[in-house]
Amino acid sequence: MSKILDLDVIGIDSSYSTNMKPAENIISRMDKRQHPFSHYYPYLVVSDNVKTLDGKTDLFLIDPFQRKDAIKRKIKRGVGIEVSIAFSKKLDASLVGKWLKEVKSIYEFCKSNNCQFVLSSGATSVNELVSARSFESLLKLIGISPINYWNEISEWLYTKNKARWVHAKS
Amino acid sequence: MLNHREKRRYLAIMYDDNTILLPFQLHEKIAERFKELFGAINCELAMLKLYDSKFGNILFVGCNLKYLDYLLVSLSMTQPSFTVVSLSGTIKRLRKNVSSLDIRNIKSIAK
Repeated sequence: MSKILDLDVIGIDSSYSTNMKPAENIISRMDKRQHPFSHYYPYLVVSDNVKTLDGKTDLFLIDPFQRKDAIKRKIKRGVGIEVSIAFSKKLDASLVGKWLKEVKSIYEFCKSNNCQFVLSSGATSVNELVSARSFESLLKLIGISPINYWNEISEWLYTKNKARWVHAKS
Repeated sequence: MLNHREKRRYLAIMYDDNTILLPFQLHEKIAERFKELFGAINCELAMLKLYDSKFGNILFVGCNLKYLDYLLVSLSMTQPSFTVVSLSGTIKRLRKNVSSLDIRNIKSIAK
């Protein structure tokens, strides 16, 4: 499926990835509990609650409309801040405009705080997945250079996985 | 007067198998969202057109190249959800691309 969407890597929720074979193009998204397959799968610890945000969290799923004061206080360098497109599907046009404005401000927040901005489909089924070309159109509309975005996210994922393997070997 | 033809792009769009909507109704939904987000004038200039895909839950939609980004954004922000599985400059090439994809396998994953 990743080839069809023109994506190198796809993040899959840990509850779906239990019955899948480990593959290079899959990153498991999991909560703080240690899953048995975390030893041979690349994974990211994902949280959507500010209260549970700590040093172990790799990725924080943010609602663009929520207040960002608490996040500003708790977020650490190198953490990914994820915005899901799925949320915007249900919004009417004026709210979509507001959503895009908020996404842009989150991107700027990430830049100034050394965090990684992550735009995701938020898909719960194959039909909800978003292709790389669609991501790029959306990024362009927000005012983000797609080339920079892909380079930064690749580097961030590489750093995350590298740190994890070094830790596992020692 | 120059005989200038606007460049077009054709998209293969996968939709949910269980939807009760017909392809032309889905196309209307896409155009409606496009209009909502980018306006009626841009929607008309994009010249969105539905084509018969001859594949199960796949729509073929054509649009002017200039407005491709707008269409892709509209597709990713429309309910019901759509996934762009292929994009080409000609319908013939698009059909070839889609038939080379393992659609049956994708459908089984979707279920």
